[in-house]
Amino acid sequence: MLKHALTAALVAALLAPAAASAETLVFTAIPDQDETKLRERFGKVADYLEGELDVDVRYVPVKSYAAAVTAFRNNQVQLAWFGGLSGVRARQAVPGSEALAQGVEDAEFSTYFIAHKSTGLTRSEDFPQGIKGKTFTFGSKGSTSGRLMPEYHIRRVFDAAPQDALERVGFSGNHSRTIALVESGTYEVGAVNYSVWDSAVANGKVDTGEVSVIWETPTYADYQWTIRGDVNQRFGDDFKDKVREALLAMEDPELLQSFPREGFIPTSNSSYDNIRETAKKLDLID
Amino acid sequence: MPQSPTIRTSLGFVLVAAVCLVFADLAITSINPWLEMGRLLRGVVTPDFSSPGQIGTALLRTVAFAFVGVGLGAAAGFVLSLLFRFRIVRMVCAFVRAIHELFWALIFLQFFGLHPLTGVLAIAIPYAGIFGKVYSEILDEADPTPARILPRRVGVLSRFLFARIPDAWPHLRSYTSYRLECGLRSSAILGFVGMPTLGFYLESAFGEGHYDHVGALLLVFYILIAALRLWVRSRLVPLYMLAAPFFLGTGLPIAWGQAVRFFTEDIVPNPIRQGEGLVALWQWFADLMVNQALPGIGATIVLTQIALVATGALSLLAFPLISRHFTGRITGTLGHTLLVIARTTPEYLLAYILLQLWGPSMLPAVVALAVHNAGIIGHLIGRRSNEISLRPGAAQGRLERYGYEVLPRVYGPFLAFLFYRWEIIMRETAILGILGITTLGFYVDSAINELRFDRAMVLIVITALLNIGVDTLARRLRARLRLRHSPTCES
Amino acid sequence: MAGLSLRSASAAYGGQRVLDPITLTIEVGEQVALVGRSGAGKSTLLSLLFDAERSDISYMPQELGLVHALSVFHNVYMGRLSAHASWYNIANLVWPFRHEVEAVEAVLEPLAMAPKLWSPVGELSGGQRQRTAVARTVYQDAGILLADEPVSALDGPQAHNVMRTLTSHYATAVLAMHDVELALRYTNRVVGIDEGRIALDEPAAELSPEDLLPLYRGETA
Repeated sequence: MLKHALTAALVAALLAPAAASAETLVFTAIPDQDETKLRERFGKVADYLEGELDVDVRYVPVKSYAAAVTAFRNNQVQLAWFGGLSGVRARQAVPGSEALAQGVEDAEFSTYFIAHKSTGLTRSEDFPQGIKGKTFTFGSKGSTSGRLMPEYHIRRVFDAAPQDALERVGFSGNHSRTIALVESGTYEVGAVNYSVWDSAVANGKVDTGEVSVIWETPTYADYQWTIRGDVNQRFGDDFKDKVREALLAMEDPELLQSFPREGFIPTSNSSYDNIRETAKKLDLID
Repeated sequence: MPQSPTIRTSLGFVLVAAVCLVFADLAITSINPWLEMGRLLRGVVTPDFSSPGQIGTALLRTVAFAFVGVGLGAAAGFVLSLLFRFRIVRMVCAFVRAIHELFWALIFLQFFGLHPLTGVLAIAIPYAGIFGKVYSEILDEADPTPARILPRRVGVLSRFLFARIPDAWPHLRSYTSYRLECGLRSSAILGFVGMPTLGFYLESAFGEGHYDHVGALLLVFYILIAALRLWVRSRLVPLYMLAAPFFLGTGLPIAWGQAVRFFTEDIVPNPIRQGEGLVALWQWFADLMVNQALPGIGATIVLTQIALVATGALSLLAFPLISRHFTGRITGTLGHTLLVIARTTPEYLLAYILLQLWGPSMLPAVVALAVHNAGIIGHLIGRRSNEISLRPGAAQGRLERYGYEVLPRVYGPFLAFLFYRWEIIMRETAILGILGITTLGFYVDSAINELRFDRAMVLIVITALLNIGVDTLARRLRARLRLRHSPTCES
Repeated sequence: MAGLSLRSASAAYGGQRVLDPITLTIEVGEQVALVGRSGAGKSTLLSLLFDAERSDISYMPQELGLVHALSVFHNVYMGRLSAHASWYNIANLVWPFRHEVEAVEAVLEPLAMAPKLWSPVGELSGGQRQRTAVARTVYQDAGILLADEPVSALDGPQAHNVMRTLTSHYATAVLAMHDVELALRYTNRVVGIDEGRIALDEPAAELSPEDLLPLYRGETA
């Protein structure tokens, strides 16, 4: 078995693609949920874009939101599927970069607060005051739906920092893990991207007897495709427009379902002004 | 009895830890901690080897990064050791080794990005500092007479190669091979921040609850380290060194402009970048100190002191497992395996696992640090105890033998090893913040997440200074208690 | 080639004076035995002589100064490190040249050490190590020899053999000895040290073993 493993590894290492050539468009995405899922989804996206754009397209997975932004900033990736906050950060770090397209759902995105059954909390229209004094997990530190917006609402209602209003505050890392940690009772309450939750429930990945939604935040703008401003110099004059068209034209239901989004619509940097203002208020950006 | 300075010092540490307990948060908050634990254990004992290619690649990359990183570190450290009499060199070495590999990786990620150079330098730089110090100690301990009696006209190089190196060589070699084992652990852990090593796959498998994959990856890693002596032969090392750079993977191309920008813009404090003047700079710094640095330092010290005493206690319980005065052949082998697993499992990984199972508090970190470090110290003390031959008719009861014959003889070395690990435990404590415990690493990680490298750099420098402080304190204590050490106990 | 001289040299260890100010001149062609009780200051005096003039001297300290991890060949070769360029020395360290090996073997032969040519010094007995150091000294072929107890670990015939070898190669030599008979037989001048000063300085031919006894009883004052 070990011998097989080593042989396979040697072959894999030796055949690994050489450093991305100038004609390869490299893109990444914030690691907001299970990596296997992301690889599957963005592998398909890479194939799709390659067909539409006549350049090699490669997806690279990263381990953190910050790493996604840094790779974009370092021009190691030219295109990225960011969240609201990470997109704002990326565009602030790379002048000339542009939000190209967002999912239909992303114009009006929201966060669910979810709670373990032992808390006795149930769904309400108003902010659930009962979470005070409970243990609470956000998603990633750099997440919009898992950090920025829920923290904004906690501060608004309790007029205190989360670590003061709540018993214990943690960062699970991503939305899938937030669901798992609240389901297992490691944390009593959590904040999760509504879309990740809905698809986890639809796929039977969550025991809704153990954990359920107790509140949905007001809507805000979230995920979007952002591209660097200098891609036209590198890939040809109208490359940016071609990428935008390709994204907007994505119609394969299986592909869209993997996000899951109904489709993609045009957007612009200014759609995320509210996110930037909120992040400034929480001192998450300068 | 408390008149003995050794006992007084030990009790002092226990007392400090007890006070720290008051400020520490050690609760298990998880509602059903054992359920997930059971699933994990089941996964580990039923490892899934169905994707040998992935496991093989992870292993190969881990080994490649370790060899290149440790190799470069050893070469640079050797040069530094020759210049170690210069104060500036000693200071540089102390500073670079006070910063953990993961912090170095987080820094290099900013300008090399996901390029192999990030991982290689993250290992090579702190290791160079450690090698510089230990190599110079080893060379200093070598007999000076052969060099002294050579005529003045003998060239520096000939003098060094003939009269200094040969007798120091076995010590240099054994220390370097010990560091290679540490390097493999460091390399594996770098995967957690995105290098293509074992940690990369472990993190994914954990995150998704694929504990059978976790089991397979861990098992292979244990075997790799346990069999180190079998596959790392001195004749093969040059071959490995030559081959390793070709197995690092390609990563993504480096944008060199970033390196410049990192130094000229990113780490310049924001008020200066914005031209807001010195008052604003002071305000910026004061905010950073009060809101992040001081709470971080407090938590780091509290956790370090508790973990240190826990490590000590666990080591004293653990060493009889491999001591021939307490075990037979079968129990001894079993104990040996247990300690190998304890010290091979990186504390970062262990803390990561326990945090998922028990919920957020300092407890997972304390347990992780204690288990890993007690694995190392227990191993060293156990070996030391095997060198003792008891007089015939020495205490027959095991407890009596432990208390009257063995423990008093190994207590000195035990304290020396423990003090050596003090600085290491603190370095790890800081880094565990990345997992969510509010030590300094938590604030560093937050700053990096917010792309505020100016803040991150200040916090990293503070962490380094804290480590240098503890290292100095430990050295003074060792000197005062006249504790001798062997350099190979340092990690 | 000039001789050696010390003018009012003294030495102290940890505040304790071990040598009073001593003035001593060694002429070319003199083979001097330093005699006296252990701790009298003989080794210190040799060390001072060496430090005063390190260029054309072969110094064989009591602890021998051998590199234990290296072979007998390399240790003997070290006697002539200064005669070659660095690259040549390094090449010899890794892959010894045949003519160097033959030259070293020729020196080892009369000392009955040739069979041990490739043994690491760390694996040799005390007597074999001492003969290795002697061979290094002979191979070095300097102008002056300073040797501290060069035959202390050797039995009768070997001791004579080594003394003969050393004195025939080095017309000018200072040898610290505790064996009075060997000292008188192989040297031509005897300097007696007691409590850090020179208590006796006579041609060897004019002395008998009995004349040296007071040095060992502390009766010279």
